[in-house]
Amino acid sequence: MTETTMPTRRLILAALPLIPGRALAHLPSGSRGPNGGQVQDIGSYHAELVLRGNDILVFVFDHNDRPVPVAGATAQAVLLANGRQATVPLTPKEGNLLQGTGDLAEARGIRAVVTLTLPGQRTTQARFTPLDPA
Amino acid sequence: MRRPFHMLAMLLASLTVLAATGRFAPVAAHEGHDHGAASSPPAAAAPRTETHSDLFEVVAILAPDGRLRIHLDRFPTAEPVPGATIALTVDGDPADVAADGSYSHVARHPALTQAGRRNLLFTVTAGAEMDLLPATLELPAPAAAGVATPAAPEWRAVARNPLAWTAGLLLLLLGAAIGRVTAPRQLPPQAVSNPLPGAGDIVRSLRPDRAAARTTALAALLLLPVLAQAQPIDAPRRQPDGSVFVPKPTQHLLGLRAVAAERSEAAVSLQLVGQVIADPNASGRVQSAEASRIEAPEDGFPVIGQQVARGQRLAYAVPVIAAQDRAGVRASIADIEAQIVITEARLRRLTAIASTVAAREISDARAELEGLRQRRAANLPAVVGREPILAPASGVISVVRVAAGQVVDAREPLFDIVDPARLWVEAIAFDPAAVTEIAGATAVTASGQALRLAFVGRGLALRQQALPLQFRLEEVPAGLVVGQPVTVSVQTPRRLAGIVLPAEAVVRSAEGPPIVFEMPGAERFVPRPVRVQPLDGRRVLVTAGLEPGMRVVTEAAGLVSQVR
Repeated sequence: MTETTMPTRRLILAALPLIPGRALAHLPSGSRGPNGGQVQDIGSYHAELVLRGNDILVFVFDHNDRPVPVAGATAQAVLLANGRQATVPLTPKEGNLLQGTGDLAEARGIRAVVTLTLPGQRTTQARFTPLDPA
Repeated sequence: MRRPFHMLAMLLASLTVLAATGRFAPVAAHEGHDHGAASSPPAAAAPRTETHSDLFEVVAILAPDGRLRIHLDRFPTAEPVPGATIALTVDGDPADVAADGSYSHVARHPALTQAGRRNLLFTVTAGAEMDLLPATLELPAPAAAGVATPAAPEWRAVARNPLAWTAGLLLLLLGAAIGRVTAPRQLPPQAVSNPLPGAGDIVRSLRPDRAAARTTALAALLLLPVLAQAQPIDAPRRQPDGSVFVPKPTQHLLGLRAVAAERSEAAVSLQLVGQVIADPNASGRVQSAEASRIEAPEDGFPVIGQQVARGQRLAYAVPVIAAQDRAGVRASIADIEAQIVITEARLRRLTAIASTVAAREISDARAELEGLRQRRAANLPAVVGREPILAPASGVISVVRVAAGQVVDAREPLFDIVDPARLWVEAIAFDPAAVTEIAGATAVTASGQALRLAFVGRGLALRQQALPLQFRLEEVPAGLVVGQPVTVSVQTPRRLAGIVLPAEAVVRSAEGPPIVFEMPGAERFVPRPVRVQPLDGRRVLVTAGLEPGMRVVTEAAGLVSQVR
């Protein structure tokens, strides 16, 4: 018995680094992202929608919440508020940021659907309720 | 010596455990949410997509003719939204949407007829409520390919099986042999007059018919898969994983409703057996005071269901006296009558000589005469009189046990009168300690009618090993009758945490334990075994088996459970 306990313990210690654990903390849908906006799944990525004045900012992350470059991507946002619907094109800016301008931003009860096509990938959609509490 | 093997085995074992627990797949499956839809409709169902927000739920089903049928419901109640308008864009391009019926919509778009992945965006307007709902619709390749894909492996397996081929060949040969044996043979010509041309004609005329039949059969065989594709099997069914697929149109037919489970607290209740009784202060029983013969009153006996007022004459009772007793009464009446005659004569004499006799004597005689007359009057009904029977309470006659001329014994019940607006419920509790504190009570009839009760009192003596409890019905529904059995739920002050659901949400599974149907998707229902505690007639408390936030079917759960 004593002969087998030693290697067992050693093996368990050796196997510990193999367990990934909670190191890959990611943002669940509906929570607040690093820029203070709501985060939603978009395809296999995460997107964070930030409304700042009339600016609509969309940040794209992978599922480990590392920024994804959006150069060459096409995207648009459909915004619905106060009984009006508007489609706003989003243009890639530096890094993982897409930006557009719409007069519906900051309206109460706003709902937005972002359509994103990264180069060489499928078009994906995500729905945001940016002003809902996280 | 054994050590290296031992270590290798342990390493393998630990790796297996790691792989089994899923810790070795860190990238693809992170906890909390997944990026793909977990629930999928049956392979044979029409292409469909579903999406929901906190207000609405949309299910879009692609019909074989390329039209997209959109079903709009409220979320999470699954209640159809009549009179809503829907706008749809397919890959950013607006589609033509028209309302079809009261809560279904039909959309057309050229892109919906081509295979591939379509991004749909629904804009729903229902009154003041508006919402945006994105969805992805996966469209399979056109008809032939669509059918061949799921069916192919089976066919290929059959085609590769030599046994199948051999059996087929044997059957074919057998069929041919039987056909050969049973085929009508041409009789040998009896007269040899022009035989050859006639036979040839018959053979030739048969051929085109056979050929046509063969072509039709072949065409039917080829068309079969196409027909199958044209009518996708969109029926409710049980999935291999035990969940139930119910298409949205069927849900609308069944009147299915759901609710989001919420944790709350409810008073623990006890179930008691009870029955409806009449309020003792508002009901009456008419009994005969002595043995008598019943006679109908002037307007006849009251009938069942007749409203009677207190003091109303219900019948007459003519006392029944034995011959000996009657003779005695008659004799005493005769005696009294004789005395009356004597006293009358004396009174007349005394009044004639009133001036010479004392006034006291005259008044004595008068009093004596009066007393004799009263004695006669008291004795007379015993032989000739009848006694009216009066209603002791106002109400409805519920029992009539009399007929004209019937002779009844003393204390025999004749009529029962019940006030239909004032009924009580009497329940029996076999555990007196459990009902020491009563916070409230309700009752359910055998037909499921719920009754609100107010506690009246509890006896302090056991009756047949049980404690009687009485409750007053706060409002009496029409149709409730005295003696009807009811199940009484008594709420105790003890409270229990759980999820309160309507009683119809809980159904009994084929295996026995009670289940509720969780609704993880718009058309998918997962049976969840639960532990339930009845609260009152209409609600139950689920104490285990459900998590708050789950969407649970409240109506038509019994119909969902019958899907095979």
